[in-house]
Amino acid sequence: MLRHLLRTVNLFDTAKRVLFLCFLAGCHSQSGAGAPAHGLIYYERDDPRSLDPALSTDVTTGEMVTLLFDGLTQFDADGKLLPALSDRWTADRTGQRYVFHLRPGVAFQDGRPLVAADVKRAFIRVLNPATRGGRVWPLLPIAGAGDFADGHATDVRGIEVLGDTAVAFTLTEPLAIFPKFLAMPVASVVPAAVPADFGQRPVGTGPWRFVAWEHDDFLRFAKNPSYWGEVPQAESLTVRIIPEDLTRAAEFLAGRLSVAEVPFGETAKWEREHPDWLKRRPALRPVYVPLNNRRGPLRDPNVRRALNHAVNVTEILRTVWNGRGARAAGSIPPTLGGSDPARQPYSYDTTEARRLLRAAGYPNGFSLQLWRSGTNVELGRVAQAIQAQLAIVGIRVEIVSRDASSMREAVRKGDTDMAILDWWADYPDADNFLYPLFHSASVGPGGNYSFYSDPVTDSLILLARRTVDQPAREALYRRIDNRVFEAAPWIYLWFPANLWAEHPSIEGWDVPVIFNGQRWTQVRVAAGR
Amino acid sequence: MLQLVGRRLLATIPTLFGVLVVAFLLLNVVPGDPVAEMVGERADSATIARLRGELHLDDPIPVQFGHYLWGVVRGDLGRSYITQRPVLGDLAERFPKTLQLAAAAMLLAVTVGISLGVLAAIRPGGMIDRLSMLIAYLGVSFPVYWVGLLLILLFAVALRWLPPSGYGGLAFLVLPALTLGMRSIAFLARMTRGAMLDVLPSDFVRTARAKGLGERRVIGRHALRNALLPIITVVGLDVGNYLTGSILTETIYSWPGVGRYVLLAIQKRDLPAVQGSILFLSVVFVLVNLLTDVLYAKADPRVAYD
Repeated sequence: MLRHLLRTVNLFDTAKRVLFLCFLAGCHSQSGAGAPAHGLIYYERDDPRSLDPALSTDVTTGEMVTLLFDGLTQFDADGKLLPALSDRWTADRTGQRYVFHLRPGVAFQDGRPLVAADVKRAFIRVLNPATRGGRVWPLLPIAGAGDFADGHATDVRGIEVLGDTAVAFTLTEPLAIFPKFLAMPVASVVPAAVPADFGQRPVGTGPWRFVAWEHDDFLRFAKNPSYWGEVPQAESLTVRIIPEDLTRAAEFLAGRLSVAEVPFGETAKWEREHPDWLKRRPALRPVYVPLNNRRGPLRDPNVRRALNHAVNVTEILRTVWNGRGARAAGSIPPTLGGSDPARQPYSYDTTEARRLLRAAGYPNGFSLQLWRSGTNVELGRVAQAIQAQLAIVGIRVEIVSRDASSMREAVRKGDTDMAILDWWADYPDADNFLYPLFHSASVGPGGNYSFYSDPVTDSLILLARRTVDQPAREALYRRIDNRVFEAAPWIYLWFPANLWAEHPSIEGWDVPVIFNGQRWTQVRVAAGR
Repeated sequence: MLQLVGRRLLATIPTLFGVLVVAFLLLNVVPGDPVAEMVGERADSATIARLRGELHLDDPIPVQFGHYLWGVVRGDLGRSYITQRPVLGDLAERFPKTLQLAAAAMLLAVTVGISLGVLAAIRPGGMIDRLSMLIAYLGVSFPVYWVGLLLILLFAVALRWLPPSGYGGLAFLVLPALTLGMRSIAFLARMTRGAMLDVLPSDFVRTARAKGLGERRVIGRHALRNALLPIITVVGLDVGNYLTGSILTETIYSWPGVGRYVLLAIQKRDLPAVQGSILFLSVVFVLVNLLTDVLYAKADPRVAYD
């Protein structure tokens, strides 16, 4: 064979042959991402885990599930809680029993009508360990849900099907925000009979129906013309999988994406050259450094306050973060009820930091480790800035760079002094920035990575969860946030602002404040553009 | 030759078993928990414990390995913890795409690289030599990541001749193949030039010229053929590397190949996906190496495998 090949070695002929083969290959290849850009085109960084709501434990999967499915409630792009499959619900005075009435006339995309029993079966499926989903906590407040998940019960006694049109939930204790839990993707309602490949061929009630999924390449959806709510204005929505930031920007500039997040390094350029494309919205996401309250000098609140005074957050935000955010004076984002706009952030004051360190018995400083994820370049730069500034007050910081998984494990086990992290909201409520982050029941995997533990804070958080009256609840949130802020379990950095670009041919899109708040129903390609 | 192939194939079995053992042990030693990746940012300890039990992650390591090995023997690489899809199916879906990219890159590298090397060797020190060696230097020196982005900026954003990224027809293949093949072009050009310069002063080349053969025949059939061994070595190694996935190129160009699959599996500590991928890619690598050895023997009868 090789001899034959050698006999015909003629470089020019070979080149011609290569071109011809490539042309043939091109003619026979399928066209995925190369589809004409007439519909809406969004993107995700990675392939979703699945399209099965029970497996939606990450933002990407949650966003895709939101297109195909509905929960009993839902969020809009502003983070407001709206009725969805349930058009009205009632709670008893204590907030411990809820009755959700199903919207009449809703059907799954295969034509089967939605009934209350579907809701119960869907929730039981999420709680069943054999489903191997992993996100059960939004449903654990339901009485008997924990027992069922542990295999101690064959049914969830707190879910009661009231005929075909209503379902009642009895909770283990009052929880004012329970309707918000039900807007999360994992609480979406799926048909009663779910085939084995449901995650690949989903059938929901949502505004979009599933068309195709080429893994790591794209997902395609078509509008669901019989949607119970506002039917999408566009015919199709393609979601491409594009892992690299700068490639996404290039795709957007080439007119092949409807929207794109502005890459960090490009912020000033895009703001200068294309201000009319940009949409900015504060994110429900604190960027912070949890200080392990159980380790060494960080046990002392004065030391933790000193660290807050020693870091020039305003300067880092302006230079390293391109000014894309607002300084944090607490953990509750300023756009949520319960935040306190009057509270001032820790001032940049190295003299005060040194004084506090001396008072705590560390006049010569000490050494700490600051962990960062090697894959998050921006947070890595912030870590370097913090390292340099803490050195000024005598705190020697060693930056430990690990991959995200190793870092997460170390942080959850409490093996780190400090880490640089951000916290994405699951639901737009102050509770999401207090219970997981500071309640002692959440230490480690629950989200409390500073291992902050204060019985008063714990009881106030639980009291707020039980408080049905909204103003009273928000007053409690302010009080809790204030108390925690004083104890300084974090270095409080900032709440980023999301900066996105919308292609000039696109209308009706807005940056959602919560990941599952954008259902793409009002977005369209403008006529004539 | 058949004996050689058969012997080598048999010898791959202990190699692959070794690969499996090492991969399994390494994955159990490195920090990071697959269940933590499954449950996401917020979870309770009870859920994590339940999932660990469900996935048999608390079984002793030899027992886990035994289960896995039994599956492999039956041709079952297991299911991904994260996506719950069969690993073999995932690899089968992505491998043809990696193969397509590797083939295009290699064709490009072989034609351009060998041409440059031959042209450079014909007149050492001449214009073409200097130019092709400059190209070779640049090709070896520039990082793939940087070249990839530059090519996207030039051909996709500025000129709009080609799509920036994605998988599709020929137009989608050009930039990734060029990016991936660039280093091989450079390497092959230098390798070919060196090998040709060794061969060209030989007696048999002078004889070929003396008997009146045209220069193209002298170079193409006599000199190049004798310069092929080192070239085959480089091509073989590169093909092996390309087929096992090119993480950078696939990431920059959003190419849905095995490289990205393996990277994500490692990041998520998706043990069945990582183990399955390592095994699969080891098989590919071993087969490519075997093919290279066979080609050695074909190219030069003096090479004997006893």
